Amino acid sequence: MSKVVFSREQIAAYAEASGDRNPIHLDDDFARSVGLPGVIAHGMLQMGLLANLAVEAAGGDPRRVRRLSVRFAGMVEPGEEVEFGSASRADGRLELWARKADGTPVLTKGMAELA
Amino acid sequence: MAAFARAIDADPDAGVPPTYAAAYALFTTAPQLFGDPEAAVDFGRLVHAEQEFSWDRHPEPGETITARAKVAADIERRGARFLTYETTCTAADGSPLATSRALFVVRP
Repeated sequence: MSKVVFSREQIAAYAEASGDRNPIHLDDDFARSVGLPGVIAHGMLQMGLLANLAVEAAGGDPRRVRRLSVRFAGMVEPGEEVEFGSASRADGRLELWARKADGTPVLTKGMAELA
Repeated sequence: MAAFARAIDADPDAGVPPTYAAAYALFTTAPQLFGDPEAAVDFGRLVHAEQEFSWDRHPEPGETITARAKVAADIERRGARFLTYETTCTAADGSPLATSRALFVVRP
């Protein structure tokens, strides 16, 4: 389990490093013009943070992560805190999820397969 | 790659973070789809709804990767458009590395 408070700086750093410079993540005015409350975090930033739990479960070796899937269920704005969680399943897979403090789902149907 | 690892609070020395595939699989190719007038994807209304990655092998830093993408499905339902976008990544010798399957929804 881990908790992350999303920040504009982290979202901007992710945009730069990933190549996803969609202005909905960087420009409040643009984000509002398309009906969003303001800039939002990349779904892939959420998934990247969630994937850290899979790497952890793989003993810290990212090469052992064979499959990773999520459903993007909720938007995250800067300043919001998200809790990331994982649970091992009987079939050896890892179940993964992320949600806000009030229970609002952020990432659902998260699943990892490890080698 | 190190900047990417730091941006997701991962250890840059542990190896390539799995979701760095966002950079080498998804955002090497997706801008071509979003920028294609024939595909007519309304970027401002685009939502990334689902994402799946699978790896035969993870790339190493410095490796050259070839990413090929295609629209596997393009469906309209209740005014929203559902685009399934599949990317296949191969190593320099042609051996398979990773595949990405993204579901994009264009809101009405």
